[in-house]
Amino acid sequence: MALALSRRAVLATGTAMALAPWPRSVLAQDKPAELIVRAWGGVWVESLENGVSRPFTERTGIPVRHDLTEDNEIRPKIWAAVDQGRAPPIHVNWDTSTNATKSALRGVTEDLGDLANLADMLPAARPAGFDGVPLINMYSYVYVLAYRDEAFPDGPPDSWQIMLDPRFKGRVALYDDGIGFHPSAQIAGGGKFEDIPDNMEPAWEFIRKLKAQNPLLGEDPDFTSWFQNGEIDVACTILSNARAAKQSGIAVSWTVPKEGAKVDTDGMWIPKGLPENELFWAKEYVNFAMSQEAQQAWTSGLGLPGLRPGLTPPEDLVGDPAYPSSPEDFARLISVPTRILVEHESDWFQKFNEIMQG
Amino acid sequence: MSRSPGLRVLDALEGVRATLWPRPLAPLTPWAFLVPALLLTGLLVAALVPLADASLRQLDRATFRLDESWSLANYAAVLARPVYGVMALRTLGGALIVTAVTLLLAFPYAWLMVRTARPALRRLLLISLFLPFFIGQVVRAYGWLVVLGQQGLANSLLAALGLPPLTILYTFPGVLVGLVQYMLPFAVLMLAPALTAVPEEVELASAGLGATPLRTLWRVVLPLARPGLVAAGVVVFTLTLTDFAMPEIMGGGTNDFIASAVYDAFFQLGDPGLGGAIAILMTAVGSLAVGAVLALFGLGTLGYVEERR
Repeated sequence: MALALSRRAVLATGTAMALAPWPRSVLAQDKPAELIVRAWGGVWVESLENGVSRPFTERTGIPVRHDLTEDNEIRPKIWAAVDQGRAPPIHVNWDTSTNATKSALRGVTEDLGDLANLADMLPAARPAGFDGVPLINMYSYVYVLAYRDEAFPDGPPDSWQIMLDPRFKGRVALYDDGIGFHPSAQIAGGGKFEDIPDNMEPAWEFIRKLKAQNPLLGEDPDFTSWFQNGEIDVACTILSNARAAKQSGIAVSWTVPKEGAKVDTDGMWIPKGLPENELFWAKEYVNFAMSQEAQQAWTSGLGLPGLRPGLTPPEDLVGDPAYPSSPEDFARLISVPTRILVEHESDWFQKFNEIMQG
Repeated sequence: MSRSPGLRVLDALEGVRATLWPRPLAPLTPWAFLVPALLLTGLLVAALVPLADASLRQLDRATFRLDESWSLANYAAVLARPVYGVMALRTLGGALIVTAVTLLLAFPYAWLMVRTARPALRRLLLISLFLPFFIGQVVRAYGWLVVLGQQGLANSLLAALGLPPLTILYTFPGVLVGLVQYMLPFAVLMLAPALTAVPEEVELASAGLGATPLRTLWRVVLPLARPGLVAAGVVVFTLTLTDFAMPEIMGGGTNDFIASAVYDAFFQLGDPGLGGAIAILMTAVGSLAVGAVLALFGLGTLGYVEERR
């Protein structure tokens, strides 16, 4: 018997399959022309596109546009829009948990407590200290010690102290506000974790010594180009950046030094002031980002452990301490509570700046 | 005799003008043309009002909103932190050096462009002058990274000659190099009209009376070109004083100018009060510096008309 399939039937079947996770009542909501999601560039936006945005569009038909405005730059725009009763410039903000918490404290975030997939996430996905759920933490990440293989023929460095080695004068890199490095510097400088935030002098002393090394200070993309152009040998950067550089053929590796390395989380939140239908679909996007499928693809692309149980680590990161997956792994890392970061990180940025610009 | 359609249109337009702008208002016509520019300038000044207002309010870190009440806490914080003084001095010093070097380089360029008898050379100089305007500051800064980087063109050339590598990128002198290159076209454009206004016959007369070219330059051309030099100096100085991209990209993060401090306060620290205070202070310092230059050296090309009278 010949199987006769019309084009219309194939399309209808395909569409129905694609939309399967969403019930009819959900899909009946007015769809916006697009969803705008703020993201970081490079490997970050690529992973989001492949892991979350494209599958979301395939299922809902709603195009997702990524706004690559820096997280710090979009924040005042959103705050101003909400204060002035205007529609915010984006639908979903992919943000650091610290910055997201600041927005939540300001009262500009929608509550996400009703998202179905939140129940399947680890407890760390919910921010502490709030009645509702103004943001959702999505994954952890570690600020590793990344190094150029060629500069370490005898094996990886085992301490942050290597940054003070005269061999690496002018060849060390940090984030331009020192983000991710302050707690590591505290331990490397002989201080105690318990003294954060009240006595950070060991950290500042270590950073003062580092200043004499003429470090380069930049943002995520700078690290890749500096490694690529042979400008630096060691850097404190997020694992994803080092891994992306390695995957693009740059001879770079990374390690968690004996003093530990700072671990943190990123999350997503939705600004207040969206029209009802847009808010609905923005929530659906965040909900989808927490699904098993999206978390697996998204966080694998980033090389970061998602905050959903049962995810499979990328092959190249199995057993890597920079990809923490057990309590023992986390015990090696330095985790500063978000509450302390929200209250003190700005001061640390200023102090770091004071030393580096002095 | 019948009038042409073109003239009839002009007559009609003249009628409209006479209705909208009667003859008694004619003395005000020059001011009317100034209105758009004054409005734009007024808007810039008006924008300082909310900035000044924010600068008087402290950030409450419990709500991440500015306080309702006014205080001078942000100004006190700026003055108490030596880093802002260091950055302000670096910015002022950098602006002075960039202005001096740029004028030194721009003057012969502008003079040659104005005086050359060869149209091809003039065209080449003009194209070289305008080309950078189409490229933009950020792209030019990245161009410098390619040229001056560890494995850049300059170091490849030095290595080929058996010389040690040059470390100028991500240093203060590196920032100045980038800024001078960025400012050069502005300075040439400001100088060229002033030099055009210096009659070539005056230079010939000076030479005819036995002055050496250097003496003619020093005693004749430079004094006559002073309005252009002052205007170019003021423009280059103020642009450098507020520049953000070049120190950010070419400074490697440790050679920031004060504009970076304003940016950091607004965006990195999320503190518009502190950012406003730095911005207001820097605007005041910059205005005072420019005011001092104008008081010392005259109004530049604005004063030129007065001097010729």
